[in-house]
Amino acid sequence: MLEVSDLRIGYGQVEVVHGVSFNVRKGECVALIGPNGAGKSTILKTVCGLMSPLGGSIMFGGRSTAGEPGHRIAGLGISMCPEGRQVFSEMTVMENLQLGAYTRRRSSIKDDLDEMMTLFPRLRERAGQDAGTLSGGEQEMVAIARALMARPKLCIFDEPSLGIAPRVVDEIEQTLLAIKARGVTILLVEQSVSMALRVADRGYVIEAGLIVLEGSSAELAGNKNVQNAYLGF
Amino acid sequence: MKRLLGAVLSTALIGTPGAFAAEKTLTIGYSDALTGGGAVYGVPQKKAIDLAIEEINGAGGIKVGADNYKIKTIEYDDKADSTEATNVARKLIDRDDVKFILGYCCSASGGAMASFIGREDVIVLVGTAGARSITSLGNKNVFRTRPPGDYTGAAAGKFIAQQGVKTLGILAVRDVALFTQYRDSLVKAFEEAGGKVVAIETFGGQDRDMTAQLTKLRGLNPDALFVSGYVEQVAFSHRQASELGIKTQRYGFSGGSAEQFTKVATAEQMNGAWDLLAIEFNADVLGPKAVAFVDRYKKKYNENPTPNTAYAYDQVYVLRDALQAAQTTTDMKKIQETIRALPIPKEALLKYLPVNGRMFDDKGQAYIANGAFQWKNGNWAFVKELPSDAAAYSNFLKTIKD
Amino acid sequence: MLIDFIQQIFNGLVVGSIYTLIALGLTTIFGIFGIAHFAHGSVAMFGGYLTYFLISALGIGLLPSFILAMAAGALLGIVLERVAYYPVRNAPPINSFIIALGLTLIIEKLNLLAFGVDQVIIPTPLVNVINVGGVTMPELRIYVLAIAAILVIGMTLLIQRTWIGMAVRAVAQNRAAAVLMGINVNSVSMFVFALSSALGVAAGVLVGALFAVAPGVSSGLVIKGFAVLILGGLGSIPGAIVGGMLLGVSEAFAAAFVSSAYKDVISFLLMILVLLVRPEGLMRRSSR
Repeated sequence: MLEVSDLRIGYGQVEVVHGVSFNVRKGECVALIGPNGAGKSTILKTVCGLMSPLGGSIMFGGRSTAGEPGHRIAGLGISMCPEGRQVFSEMTVMENLQLGAYTRRRSSIKDDLDEMMTLFPRLRERAGQDAGTLSGGEQEMVAIARALMARPKLCIFDEPSLGIAPRVVDEIEQTLLAIKARGVTILLVEQSVSMALRVADRGYVIEAGLIVLEGSSAELAGNKNVQNAYLGF
Repeated sequence: MKRLLGAVLSTALIGTPGAFAAEKTLTIGYSDALTGGGAVYGVPQKKAIDLAIEEINGAGGIKVGADNYKIKTIEYDDKADSTEATNVARKLIDRDDVKFILGYCCSASGGAMASFIGREDVIVLVGTAGARSITSLGNKNVFRTRPPGDYTGAAAGKFIAQQGVKTLGILAVRDVALFTQYRDSLVKAFEEAGGKVVAIETFGGQDRDMTAQLTKLRGLNPDALFVSGYVEQVAFSHRQASELGIKTQRYGFSGGSAEQFTKVATAEQMNGAWDLLAIEFNADVLGPKAVAFVDRYKKKYNENPTPNTAYAYDQVYVLRDALQAAQTTTDMKKIQETIRALPIPKEALLKYLPVNGRMFDDKGQAYIANGAFQWKNGNWAFVKELPSDAAAYSNFLKTIKD
Repeated sequence: MLIDFIQQIFNGLVVGSIYTLIALGLTTIFGIFGIAHFAHGSVAMFGGYLTYFLISALGIGLLPSFILAMAAGALLGIVLERVAYYPVRNAPPINSFIIALGLTLIIEKLNLLAFGVDQVIIPTPLVNVINVGGVTMPELRIYVLAIAAILVIGMTLLIQRTWIGMAVRAVAQNRAAAVLMGINVNSVSMFVFALSSALGVAAGVLVGALFAVAPGVSSGLVIKGFAVLILGGLGSIPGAIVGGMLLGVSEAFAAAFVSSAYKDVISFLLMILVLLVRPEGLMRRSSR
């Protein structure tokens, strides 16, 4: 579904991602793991069209999307739940969810809204409240629900547990598993590697802008280097 | 006596070979707003000057001694701007070497000129510019036909009191010297005549909404209202006063034409309103000489003369009469004194009120009659002259320096 | 006294409604671009002149001319966004600031070239005055108030209740997240300029009918518009509405109960007061 090959990305003249290749197949959940500053978020931003690559290709559903503007990529069915949640803080929870379905604004979204409220009962209570007044965990729910409202072909999560109270992190993990169970294709970047490997089917380890290791979640979890570096054994 | 006669004769013989008078040229400078906002006054003023020159030249020119001077002008655009006007005056004096300057439609340009011209060996004949300082500064070489605003204001204040008004509400533009001077002397004269001013409300130079001030004045319920400022603002005041249902007498000072007023207010809203101002050029009020001027002006320019045209037109005849009376074109001191003692030229269009039998007072200021015009049937109609006191104002002018 | 009080409120609301229309455009543009669009007043005057031209030179009716001018204003807004502001969208803010100043001069001069220096008043057939117990309400002023109200309500509904309106708010609040939602920020930018400029033109036409279209009016409008923005809160639509009305009524009250010399000063006094007491503006939640 998503085929990234030899992707190179930079800020100005400084290249930070040096030829990365990976893929995500339909129905799969793939995690990108690695230390801070490895370039994971940069890769996600580029896949979503918020940044343009220096080189390499990004194919989504058989079509090249490298360098396409973000709103067009969103229109192709890639949803992103961004790092730091990025909810529209002066709009209500309901409006945030509606905006998630912006690409589908010509069809009815009432059922989808209902579905999200069922998935996140807390949001139903808060529907009329400005998103900025919610707690971090609740805002994460809004961001996730907002991403799902697009009925995406590929849903990207960028650090969903970052800055969230520890007791809520479990809740988010459950949510991700629930979303996966619904058959949504997922690309996940998560600083909590243990959680990422519990949720994902496969993973890529990225260090300093290069993929250094790839394999199934079980393989990666069993890898000594991964254990030492990320799992804290 | 014999020697003197001989000297005059010999000079005449040297200066004029043969028995005929020599044809000479007198070059005069001209500074006025020919472009920009002031051009509405400057351009007609220039046209009136050109017309007067054409008439004088056509009638043989200015006779000084045995010479006949034909007038020629060097003209510059001062854009009614103080800096430009200063530059123009310098150019005329230093480079073109003229001894007489005409023009000045506007206070900024005229005021700038007046601030330094006293040191120069030239004579300036100012037309329409209204700033009081142009003559109050006391330059010996500056003469102006247009009277300052406060001269008319005093007459207006007396007139309003004579109309039986006991209490007066005032709405006036805030920072324009012409209007504030007029207003202050109106208040003084009105109160001296026993009237009471209930409030003085003001508006800024860009305001067009006076409803807040008018509502306040409406609440104070004075016998009459007085509004002064630029035409457009006075017109808006009349319109809004009428809209607010203010039924008292409305006096004003702006000097706008009927067309200018009806662009803003309807004829009904204007009904009964007064405009109290110096009687500028107005063929209906000034009689046959003025009617003939309109014909000549229309023939030459294919348009009607504006009210301010006569100020400058009359000045050209002042110059002619002065030179002919002084019998010199170079002795500036003598010419100044001659102008100061000059009676009103017979071609002058405006109705001058002489001070001690002379057209200009000691400060070089002339006075014309003031009039009360009232809006009737969609136009301004002349009702009567205001009780003007040129001598009293002239005494007052002597006492001030700004 | 009570009648005068009510009269002053009416006087203030009429003028305040025009301030609101101007401020709505300024605040929406500020919300999206973070720029002070100084040329907005000149755009308003352009609309006023154009309406006058359509009526007097081409003999088109008042209402169609009004609508045509608003459409022309919308187009002009799009052109301004594309030609002037779009190229510097990623540059430091000083660039768009300088461009805004330059645009103001350019449009002002173009107005002078195209329409001359004379003031023009847009002719209307509305000369009646309605008197309710001593409070006089000229028909024209009632229409101005009603038209402004319709436009303000329409704009509010558009922004609050439609997809494009939601997109505008989304871009204003979080541009990157808006892109992720599939919102075309370029289209939204053009839409905002079109809408704001059309509203500005409407304000210009109302000013032209009630007062006059003339050189010098535009700068006054922009100054009042920004005063309203600071009162109500930068980028806030309810703030523009409340701020505009508040400023209009305050000016009337200042003239009535303090001194007419304070009529123009009051906007600055209010601004200073709001900046001291509630710097985020009256209608914006504190970000602290």
